[in-house]
Amino acid sequence: MTTATVPDPTGTPPARTTGDERPSLASRLLRLVLTQRIALLVVLLVAVVITMTTLSQNNYLSAPYSPSYMSATLINLVPLVLLGLAELLVITSGRGGIDLSVGAIVSLTGMVFGFAYGQWGWSLLAALALAVAFGALCGALNGVLVAYVGFPALITTLATYYAFRSLALVINDQQPISTKPVQDLYSTAAAVQLPFLPESFPRVPLGIFTFLVPTVVVVWLVLARTTWGRRLYAVGTNDVAAEWTGIDVRRTRFSAYVAAGAISGLVAVVTVAQFASARPDAGVSGTGMALPAITIAVLGGVAITGGIGRVAGVVLAALLVVWLNAGILLAVPGNAGTQLQLFALGAVLVFAALLNGITNRRYGGTQ
Amino acid sequence: MSAPTTATPPGGVGEVVHDAPARGRILPRPVTGQEVVLVVVIAALWLVLGLATPAFFTSGSIIPLLVSMSPIALIGVGMTIVIITGGIDVSVGSIVMVSAVVTAQALVDHGLSLPVAVLLSVLVGGVLGLVNGVLIAYGRVQAIIITFGTLNLFKFVGLQFFGSSTVEGIPATFAFFGRGEAGRTLGIPHSFLIMLVVATAAWFYLRHTAGGRHFYAIGGDAVAARLAGVAVRRRSLIAYVLTGLLSGLAACFVIAQGTTSLAASVGSGTELAVIAAVVIGGTSITGGRGSVLGTVLGALLVQTVTTGVTQLGWQSQLSDLFVGLFIVVAVGADLVRQRSRRTS
Repeated sequence: MTTATVPDPTGTPPARTTGDERPSLASRLLRLVLTQRIALLVVLLVAVVITMTTLSQNNYLSAPYSPSYMSATLINLVPLVLLGLAELLVITSGRGGIDLSVGAIVSLTGMVFGFAYGQWGWSLLAALALAVAFGALCGALNGVLVAYVGFPALITTLATYYAFRSLALVINDQQPISTKPVQDLYSTAAAVQLPFLPESFPRVPLGIFTFLVPTVVVVWLVLARTTWGRRLYAVGTNDVAAEWTGIDVRRTRFSAYVAAGAISGLVAVVTVAQFASARPDAGVSGTGMALPAITIAVLGGVAITGGIGRVAGVVLAALLVVWLNAGILLAVPGNAGTQLQLFALGAVLVFAALLNGITNRRYGGTQ
Repeated sequence: MSAPTTATPPGGVGEVVHDAPARGRILPRPVTGQEVVLVVVIAALWLVLGLATPAFFTSGSIIPLLVSMSPIALIGVGMTIVIITGGIDVSVGSIVMVSAVVTAQALVDHGLSLPVAVLLSVLVGGVLGLVNGVLIAYGRVQAIIITFGTLNLFKFVGLQFFGSSTVEGIPATFAFFGRGEAGRTLGIPHSFLIMLVVATAAWFYLRHTAGGRHFYAIGGDAVAARLAGVAVRRRSLIAYVLTGLLSGLAACFVIAQGTTSLAASVGSGTELAVIAAVVIGGTSITGGRGSVLGTVLGALLVQTVTTGVTQLGWQSQLSDLFVGLFIVVAVGADLVRQRSRRTS
């Protein structure tokens, strides 16, 4: 069934055929898994779920790895997917595009949102709009420096990471904002029963529908169905060629950073709701949010050299990491589990990068 | 308008060099413009700080400043080489953490002598650097991705040594590198002296040996370098191993600066401070250009800002804002110079 989606099997290295169709099928499957990142992610995802469920049924885990548990952990998926998409846009824009500052933007925008909604008494919608606009403004700073002035993205976003992180901490004397309206936001992070489905269907976190699905759909539509999306891929693949075809390379690249900032602004609201408090270190504590986001993007098949990357890959990669982490927490409870998550994240990233390298040399790249 | 003469710095002979760089001088000048500017900026900052807070020019303020900048500058020497080759290493913070915890634990358990402990720390750092180097040079993957991954992997390894607590009761073996009286000769901290020696050696190596110039060749154009007979893979491997070794040595300084206990957060964020120092020092992040001298000055500037903000009684988190600004200004200056060089 899956072999039908292989576009052109003629390029496979001639395996020793024994008259049977088996070897060519195997090599075709290998090729599919290596070149189609989405296929690989689905395989890995199924493997993780089957392994964890088996462990759970044999009572190796401290709590059942059940559909309701898997559904509850989806709340962690929201910031991960959104920031992964932010990195997708920026990395795809090419010329070493990367955004280290997303976590710091989340912190700073979260504080701004906390002020507007928690202290100035703005309505939720106005405060949300402010958060997105402010995030976009932070992204615009990155975009101007990278696209128009010509700074290397890595260094620019390192500098703005410092600046935003510092401002977020200083702006309210390192104090979180957790007034009544902000605390009440927690209800938006609750899990809900889906309509039209049986009672036994697991409850799904509300954030999936309010933030995740709309953003994923919008980003997918923009990338796959608008001229701007095609321009972004063109700019990322070869910006000189894009320039000669009449694309405004600078503006396209600039808008990618603005979009990444706006998405980070959304994540700030999600994070505030999740913590029921606007924390000044929300996006930078521990390893921060940028590192997991970049990991998700690379694992999802986004080429760090630009021009290649798909929304579905990022979503699947985030789902894989979330469910893997959830399983690790049950298998190795407590501190050791949290530490093992670090290991898993690092190992998965190195594995994905090495795999990208092998695929590039053997088949000429992922799709 | 006599453009050629006004464009040259005072000193006369500079003009000839400026007009005929290919014949007179293949190497860039020993001190670049960015470094001169850095010296001026640092001097100005020190002057302002000295006027604003009378305590700044006492040894109680300068010596801690020199001691705290040493590990950053030391790792910066390795990072400069890595960035010159066109790579980057964001895992140095985790390397420092692993080296520090292994060494501290060994000091507590076995009471190692100073040379053995230093050797252990440097070796641990070197092994981790080797992991980075092998993956990057022979796995042929982007350095930033791999080192982001190993940042997590090394942190995991370090946390295994920590268990879930801190390392307590570290003996004062490393007082030789510390802030105290035992850490100074003629009033100059040993850690600062060691850093200077390493930086000078690296400066000479990068500037005046064929092996050192190979790093620049790789960063300028890796394919051309390979065709010209440079062992590109082995050279980049060496760059990451060197960074690892220096991070291991820096871990000793970090232990010496702390109290008798070591927390799991040791080293976190070091990579950003080091990269900031390297970039402020004028090393081009795209590879091919840079100097160790600039990095040392960059580290000094970053530490001056941090110390200054604290001494002025501002919120200490504000120093990050200034570091960010300095990075932008430094990269901007580098861009302007690059463009003027291309058009002239």
